[in-house]
Amino acid sequence: MPDPVYLDHAATTPVRVEVLDAMLPFFGPRFGNPSSVHRWGREARTALDEAHERVARCLGASADEVIFTSCGTEADNMAVLGAWRGRRDVDRKAIVTTPIEHKAVLAAAHQVRKEGGDERVLTMSTSGEVSKASFDALVDGSVAVCSVMWVNNEIGVIQDIAGLASRARQRGVVFHTDAVQAFGKVDVNARTTPFDMATISGHKIGAPKGIGALYVRRGTPMEPLMFGGSQDRGRRPGTENVAMAVGLARAAELAVAEREHEWTVLEVLRDRMEAALLERIPDAVIHGRGSPRAPHIMNISVPGTDSESLLMALDLRGIACSAGSACQSGSITPSHVLAAIGVRADLASSAIRMSLGCLSGDACVDRVIEVFPMLVEKARRLATA
Amino acid sequence: MRERVLVAMSGGVDSSVAAALLVKQGYDVVGATMKLFCHGEDLPDRPCCSLDSVNDARRVCEQLGVPHYVLNLESAFSRDVVRDFVEEYARGRTPIPCVRCNTFTKFRDLLRKADAIDAPLIATGHYAQVRDGVLHRGLDPAKDQSYFLWGIERTVLSRMLLPVGAQSKAETRGVAHELGLELIAEKAESQDICFVPDGDHARVIERELGTDTPSLRPGPFVQRDGTVLGEHAGYARYTVGQRRGLPGGFREPMFVVEIRPHTGAVVIGPREELLGRGVVAREVNWLVSPVPKVGDEVDVQIRHHAQPARGTLVRIEADEVEIALAANVSAISPGQSVVIYSGTCVLGGGVIERARRELPILAA
Repeated sequence: MPDPVYLDHAATTPVRVEVLDAMLPFFGPRFGNPSSVHRWGREARTALDEAHERVARCLGASADEVIFTSCGTEADNMAVLGAWRGRRDVDRKAIVTTPIEHKAVLAAAHQVRKEGGDERVLTMSTSGEVSKASFDALVDGSVAVCSVMWVNNEIGVIQDIAGLASRARQRGVVFHTDAVQAFGKVDVNARTTPFDMATISGHKIGAPKGIGALYVRRGTPMEPLMFGGSQDRGRRPGTENVAMAVGLARAAELAVAEREHEWTVLEVLRDRMEAALLERIPDAVIHGRGSPRAPHIMNISVPGTDSESLLMALDLRGIACSAGSACQSGSITPSHVLAAIGVRADLASSAIRMSLGCLSGDACVDRVIEVFPMLVEKARRLATA
Repeated sequence: MRERVLVAMSGGVDSSVAAALLVKQGYDVVGATMKLFCHGEDLPDRPCCSLDSVNDARRVCEQLGVPHYVLNLESAFSRDVVRDFVEEYARGRTPIPCVRCNTFTKFRDLLRKADAIDAPLIATGHYAQVRDGVLHRGLDPAKDQSYFLWGIERTVLSRMLLPVGAQSKAETRGVAHELGLELIAEKAESQDICFVPDGDHARVIERELGTDTPSLRPGPFVQRDGTVLGEHAGYARYTVGQRRGLPGGFREPMFVVEIRPHTGAVVIGPREELLGRGVVAREVNWLVSPVPKVGDEVDVQIRHHAQPARGTLVRIEADEVEIALAANVSAISPGQSVVIYSGTCVLGGGVIERARRELPILAA
């Protein structure tokens, strides 16, 4: 069997060697609790403070504007719920999101509704972009928080965060962006882009699972989700995960340093893969292709196939991809993202996401170009048999 | 390595051992757990369609070193099995969803998934056997599940492997221990219908057909002579042959002997009114070729675990069959399956349409 092909970097990435090396001392000799007064504590505290500074630098922010969380989901919840709750007193009751957000934002917005908020959902163009008209109609003076994902995790479409964030700011609305898939691909910079909050996640950029961060611009009202000690100014109580924070800092620095090069490399690979697949399967549809897209995500539907069978067949040939979103059991449910941008149900149910990254090279793309069309042809033959 | 086989794995001991045996025999095993329904927010303590079972199956596969997938067959299962289940109750009958699940879900839809991954074979943990393209009872009479398999397409038999069918349940558990599958070796038998939580089928009917479905509205208990004996809470709660939940005060035990959906009446009567000398079945499927002929003597089973009765095929049409029984058989319930055997061999079966109280006469 040829080498396995991992095409699921949007799901997670392996921990980078540099990141692991940076973390190791904190599982060993530098194991201290940053809140302790003694030498061990001071050592840990220094590393943690540095991690704040280093992540902040990567985001064009100050150290106190970065909160470490256990994952992207926690950061999204903190942003949506925390900021909404923090503005209850100013009579802004509404929350605005898009229908293509990650479940972490969608479910947090549903929770806002349960707590008495007015949940509003923007409309999307069929190419996967937020409708500006809908944004102007929904984001008004009654809105507390607006959350728009920067790069969509299923189709890779990039939203005009600079434009949307400045419109939100004009109306006094706190603007959050889930930048989990964007960070390391586009320039997520609080100095040049007027978002108020941004979520990043470690394991998408070569840090371990279990660490994320939320950027919160100074002056943004926000209630904590948890209560306890005074860690991170009480915004995120609980003994800090020093090793992982250090790992995230290292991964973020590498991602920023390599960003433009990474973009070019992945774009070349993706474009070659797309062109070859479209040539061999002329009726295949690449979702979001007409919009600005991050180079690492490609989502393809082939009429007359189903993603579940294709994913199995690909995996059995050593090619790892994904589809839609998996429920708790691991079974695939139809993609809410594709539904929201008006993709027909039968086409959506055949969607396969291939996401490129550090493990991708020419050989991987060659293998996909060889295997995928063959599996498609076979699936269609069976469907008509 | 031998051929690839897709094994339907519930996370229970039978299908886990089936997969393990096939690995041992050198097959290229791929495990799959079908996600067939989702209780969602109805049962917060049982998150998402018996998640633990899925996890058990996944862990067994991991231990066996074979891939495992969760297949979402919810919408097809809902259409082919759950919908029919509630509609049969609404028609005053007593369905067996497991038969339709085997016919449509496991040995048709899952087989298509097998095709998609180039697996010529499909396996389950059923206690039944396929020998030379013919379906036989499982070796262990206490566990035999051939009754539930009559509906599958005959040509599928040659693609089926039933690795535990030639052993007893105790042996299966023994194999599980032997192979180190401690995780599932002593798991309890599943008793209920998988998608009916706590055996409360009325709740499923209510969910699917609405609370005001006629089948769950109060109606009369009557005797054959028309005497009204009281009121019941919906005929879909009753099954022909049932004794529980009926009005009392009779000298002899009383049973449900008929359900009349058009009037909502549940007819009750003494044991002898349950007896039948013939049975008419529809949706007939034959698992042997050539198919049996009128006049053939067969063994007939009208219920899982029932003692087979001797019978004669008196009428065979494209979709319908009529059988004369050598002796009276009790509680032939419309909606249940009649499975036609010759010894251990399953010839075919059908869904019971009605019982005949008089002995059917062989058509000349």
